[in-house]
Amino acid sequence: MNVEQARQREISENPEFRLLRRAQRRTGIRMTALAVGGFLVYVLLSSFTPALMNTSLVGHLTLGLALGLGQFVVMALVARRHLVHMRTRIDPIARGFRTQAHKQQPDPGEQGTWQAAPFRSGGQHTWR
Amino acid sequence: MAMTAAVVTDRFSLQLTFLLFTAVVVVTLFTALLIAPQRDEISEFYLGNRTMTPLRNGLAMCGDYLSAATLLGSTGLVALTGYDGLLYLGGTAVAWMTVLLLIAEPLRNAGKFTLGDTIALRMPRRQRPVRLALALCTLAVTTLYLVAQLVGSVALLTQFTGEPSAATRTLCVVVIGSIVIVYAALGGMPGATFIQIVKAVMLIAGVGVTAVMVLHHYHWNFNALLTAAADNSGIGTRFLEPGLRYGGSTTSKLDFFSLELAIVLGLAALPHVMMRLLAPRSRHVLRTSVVWAMGLVGLVCLAAGILGLGATAVVGRDTISRMDHKGDAAVLLLAHALGGGVLTALLSCLAFVTLLAVAAGLTLAAASSLAHDLYGEVIRKGRAKETEELLVARLAAAVMGVLGILLALVSWGANTATLAFLAFAIAASAILPTLVYTLFWRRFTATGALLSLCGGLLCSVLLVVFSPVVSSTPASLYPDSDFAWFPLQNPGIVSIPAGFLLGWLGTVLSRPEPPEEYAEFEVRALVGVE
Repeated sequence: MNVEQARQREISENPEFRLLRRAQRRTGIRMTALAVGGFLVYVLLSSFTPALMNTSLVGHLTLGLALGLGQFVVMALVARRHLVHMRTRIDPIARGFRTQAHKQQPDPGEQGTWQAAPFRSGGQHTWR
Repeated sequence: MAMTAAVVTDRFSLQLTFLLFTAVVVVTLFTALLIAPQRDEISEFYLGNRTMTPLRNGLAMCGDYLSAATLLGSTGLVALTGYDGLLYLGGTAVAWMTVLLLIAEPLRNAGKFTLGDTIALRMPRRQRPVRLALALCTLAVTTLYLVAQLVGSVALLTQFTGEPSAATRTLCVVVIGSIVIVYAALGGMPGATFIQIVKAVMLIAGVGVTAVMVLHHYHWNFNALLTAAADNSGIGTRFLEPGLRYGGSTTSKLDFFSLELAIVLGLAALPHVMMRLLAPRSRHVLRTSVVWAMGLVGLVCLAAGILGLGATAVVGRDTISRMDHKGDAAVLLLAHALGGGVLTALLSCLAFVTLLAVAAGLTLAAASSLAHDLYGEVIRKGRAKETEELLVARLAAAVMGVLGILLALVSWGANTATLAFLAFAIAASAILPTLVYTLFWRRFTATGALLSLCGGLLCSVLLVVFSPVVSSTPASLYPDSDFAWFPLQNPGIVSIPAGFLLGWLGTVLSRPEPPEEYAEFEVRALVGVE
């Protein structure tokens, strides 16, 4: 086990990292469920309850058409919410861990080993 | 070229289209060759310029995703089936939410050139069989989608000249295919990115301007547009109600849901889109790029909806369906009615450039999977030199292009939408489970990956073979025989859960991988390696 791996394991056992993981995963799943799940429910409603979706709102604009346009609004709001969440909650913590992971760079020889190690590919591949 | 009755445009716009298309191709080909990778670096060939701005990245993603099917097929669907067509367009836009919220950032943080590299980080000891299975699925998806694009070029030509002769058909497919090979094999990712951006700008501008013209035609009154569309559809307000296409029976309703499921979930697993997600160097650039792509795709989908409704309102549903029963002629007919020969030529040139660009992206994705996963890691076991892998990648691009041309010539009468839908279904049921489990499930093993990749692929292909697409209805491939025991045309509703289930089953039945590997992987995926 080299320095980099040791440091990554150290981070993964850090309770703050577990909190970060849970926060990112929970909001990600919740917002996907809202945007994508909402759309799929809308498709099912359109197919199986046409009478409800044909309720006229203004002129030819029915509830179904309005909900369809609403999908785009929901998408915009969720994307905005996601950007704010990532910027304020996730990024600062992730940046902290990133500096921690690279705080003391191992000497060049050792660095070569950890970069190629996951691929077992003889060292000519690097990450950048 | 013989002019027959079923022709959208006059001779003038056909010549103008040809002129415009040649101009775009010449300019982009020269630029692609100029900015082609000069050094023998595989990272430049696979990922291109990694320091592009978010807007350019977003344009390239949007360009890779929106094919001629969106421009012609979806608008035609709206023009013929109203509400159901609009629902389909909504799915096209919503698909980006999964990418933005769940997939993009972890994949980029833990990725390198292909999904195979990400999986290799998780299960280094058994990466080779998984890479092999992954390359197989990638090839299946890209080949189907590539053939759909090339067959689409013939369908587009039909709009101008009527049923083209065998020689014209062959010439069209071979010319388009050869240009695609040059973009992909010589230009690599930098060349493909350039044509993608040019195409995306043209597409957004073209569709946007035409949508504005439609709205202007109705004095910016959306209700007037809806009223005109309903009046000229021949079926009144029924046009604006759900179920015109997919409302016949419970089976067809489920079929539509199955299609939407594959479209919404399949995007994140399309190989050429995944390649784009890996390109940006920083996670912030990636995030902003995906938001740009999402916004631009949303914009194009809204505009395409307006175009479809406008086509019915201005031209009339009967005229559109008489010209082409799938509705592909809708946009061109609308352009002819609103802007005469010039606008028709602009939009049809746009359609050709669109399918050219998507085909180039697909060829490149297939080539990188073949060269990196199959040749570099499976055949040469990671000992290939960069120059060697690069040569193989260029050759693979040429081989893929030729394969696409041959298959397209054999199956030129095939329904492009069916081919594209099958590609989405395979992506969603074979590649997506492995992608999601790899990124988020601690316990996931190589056996699970193998089972879900092969099982998902087999399941979706077999279900289509035993569906009405292949036999039992007059529109099938083999209308005279009947072995269609699966009632739906789209396998997604069964094959996507099956793919996830197989991945789970294979994992719980196999011995767990050492837990440290996932711990390291997770830190990398969440925190990044900048």
